[in-house]
Amino acid sequence: MQNIQWEKEVDVIVLGTGGAALSAAIAAADNGASVLVLEKTHQIGGTTAYSGGVPWVPLNHYMKDQGFSDNREQVIAFIKRLTLGRAEESMIERFVDKGHEIFKFLDEEAQVRFKTPKTYPEYYRNLDEALKDGTRSLDPVPFDLNLIGDWGMHLRQNPIFPPLTLEEGGAIGSIDFTVVAERMQNNIVTMGRSLVGSLFKACLDRGVETLLNIAGKELIMGENGEVIGLIAETSEGEKKYFKANNGVILASGGFEWNKQLTKAFLKMDITHPVSPPGNEGDALMMAMKVGAALDNMSEAWWYPAMVDPTFEYEDNVMAQLGNGRNGPNSIVVNKHGRRFAHEGTTYNDLPRTFFNFDPVNIEFPNEAPVWLIFDQQLKDRELIITMTPGDPAPDWVDQAATLQELAEKVGVNAENLIDEVAKWNGYCEQQEDPDFHRGTIQFENLTGGGGNPEANLGKIEKGPFYALPIYLGALGTNGGPKIDGNGRVINFAGQPIQGLYAAGNASANPLGPIYPSAGGTIGPAMVFGFLAGEHAAKTTLVKSEV
Amino acid sequence: MPQGTHTLSVPLSIETIWEFVQDMNNWAPLVPGYIEHEILNENESTWAFKGDLGFMKKTVKLKIDIKEWNEPSAVIFDLSGLSDNFKGGGYFKAEKVSDNETLMTGNLDITAGGMMGPMVNQILVKFVPQTATELTEAIVTKLCEDNNVPV
Repeated sequence: MQNIQWEKEVDVIVLGTGGAALSAAIAAADNGASVLVLEKTHQIGGTTAYSGGVPWVPLNHYMKDQGFSDNREQVIAFIKRLTLGRAEESMIERFVDKGHEIFKFLDEEAQVRFKTPKTYPEYYRNLDEALKDGTRSLDPVPFDLNLIGDWGMHLRQNPIFPPLTLEEGGAIGSIDFTVVAERMQNNIVTMGRSLVGSLFKACLDRGVETLLNIAGKELIMGENGEVIGLIAETSEGEKKYFKANNGVILASGGFEWNKQLTKAFLKMDITHPVSPPGNEGDALMMAMKVGAALDNMSEAWWYPAMVDPTFEYEDNVMAQLGNGRNGPNSIVVNKHGRRFAHEGTTYNDLPRTFFNFDPVNIEFPNEAPVWLIFDQQLKDRELIITMTPGDPAPDWVDQAATLQELAEKVGVNAENLIDEVAKWNGYCEQQEDPDFHRGTIQFENLTGGGGNPEANLGKIEKGPFYALPIYLGALGTNGGPKIDGNGRVINFAGQPIQGLYAAGNASANPLGPIYPSAGGTIGPAMVFGFLAGEHAAKTTLVKSEV
Repeated sequence: MPQGTHTLSVPLSIETIWEFVQDMNNWAPLVPGYIEHEILNENESTWAFKGDLGFMKKTVKLKIDIKEWNEPSAVIFDLSGLSDNFKGGGYFKAEKVSDNETLMTGNLDITAGGMMGPMVNQILVKFVPQTATELTEAIVTKLCEDNNVPV
């Protein structure tokens, strides 16, 4: 141990550059720590930059400023309603009580700012416990990338969302491509890139040092079982040793791109991650090696991903968000040609039905790919993946004049599909879906006032008919090392591993297997990242002799 | 309108350059991101290539219609997207400087249409001139290698 040639010695080392990591770095620096951030890839931003960049933060001051009220007990009851008993109440309360304080601090002291997207309500608004007016989701304000100088070139690109805010239709709604073009020309970014840009600027303002192309590989432990540093490896394969006087914060993303880990922990393979390919479980493996307790390991931020196969991102076919499953003129069927769920549920919930097991036929009938079946009416009305209304359907979209022909083309049971569409069209006539209750939940008509039969039940009747595969995707995994209320990693004895912290997708989601609304990923990630940074900066470890 | 023009001096005669350029099969694989092409007739061909847009790659299919074969100094063509909504054109021009020196110019001009046109054109503003430059340089390099002259 005495012979280690340290490359650098700092108080706090943060792995990763997404929302959790940069929030941790800001908090640590503001509490007097010297901070070093290590990023595995050639770009800053991680999963956050690739996302909508929206944090979900109950009781936040932006809501109050807009005249929307929120209530602590109601929030806690709502989260507990979604967790179904699979999260610790103390962690829920910690998130609810600290989150809004942290976002107030980020606004006032770090110029990390948001707006309440008035046109974008809560996903589960139809539940009794949900917030009815306003939203707890926060929309990052547009950010001028020139403010971070040359680092702007290293901010991860976001091919998923156009440079519009949530309120401007960046995620749902009609896109003004003229505004998009202007923003691109002027280097103005929004959503995930905006959030990372403003967080990173706050890090630069605080003297936080960031190194690219260097991945954390192994924690260095002291004789008292505390973390005293880290072995990292550059993209050229050179090992470097970094000393952390106060702690190491693991915030380098999930494990959705690591086939060995997804096979070991998840119910089914995530064939189409909607995230940067660097998320290979580095933090999880480091934490396992030092005895971290794990939690929420079979879960992910699920997404029913779709694909325009002509696009690639970092040498992989790019999974995209798609569209079209929650309005009229479409249904989703399994390989048997049967509907199997309410098609317009939240993106996190629909894939959970892919895992249903049929104990009679001994199969997973809904295993992806499942199929979005739609007609020309939907094709004429909506942008679906990259297929624009008015343009001819590209050759990667299966289409046919009849449902029989379409089913045969894509390998779905034709007799069942024809029967299922006839049944669906009948439900549309009676304006009620007794099978899966389309037209009843908020998410299927999110920005249009919630689901209702008029908006969501429309016949599939005008040819040609189309079929698009829907794959099991995820925005990231959310299982990992279990943490306490200060972001400290807990061991199997229930004790904190001194000097080791985790946050974001590199940790177990403190709220368990839930996605409460837009930003359900980034909200807890930033809050527990911040708490980890704050705690690490203030901690004096009982050190072994080094 | 995203467009790019790139000119290089080539230490070869204009006839040598024409002989190379007039057969599409000679230079098709030099198109950045080339996947395949099919010659339909003397003037029409279809192409597939993977464009590197920096933050992602996009496979496109397009059709090229040769408008003019002006031996030995110019090939002028139109192009239109088969997989995506865009159209444009371009040319190769050769200008004799001496018996052993020719100025070679490549030009591309592509405009995306449809709903996403304004956004796509912002991406093409960088991509099109870069592609024109890379293609012209690749052709000149190949010509020089084939004729054993320094680039």
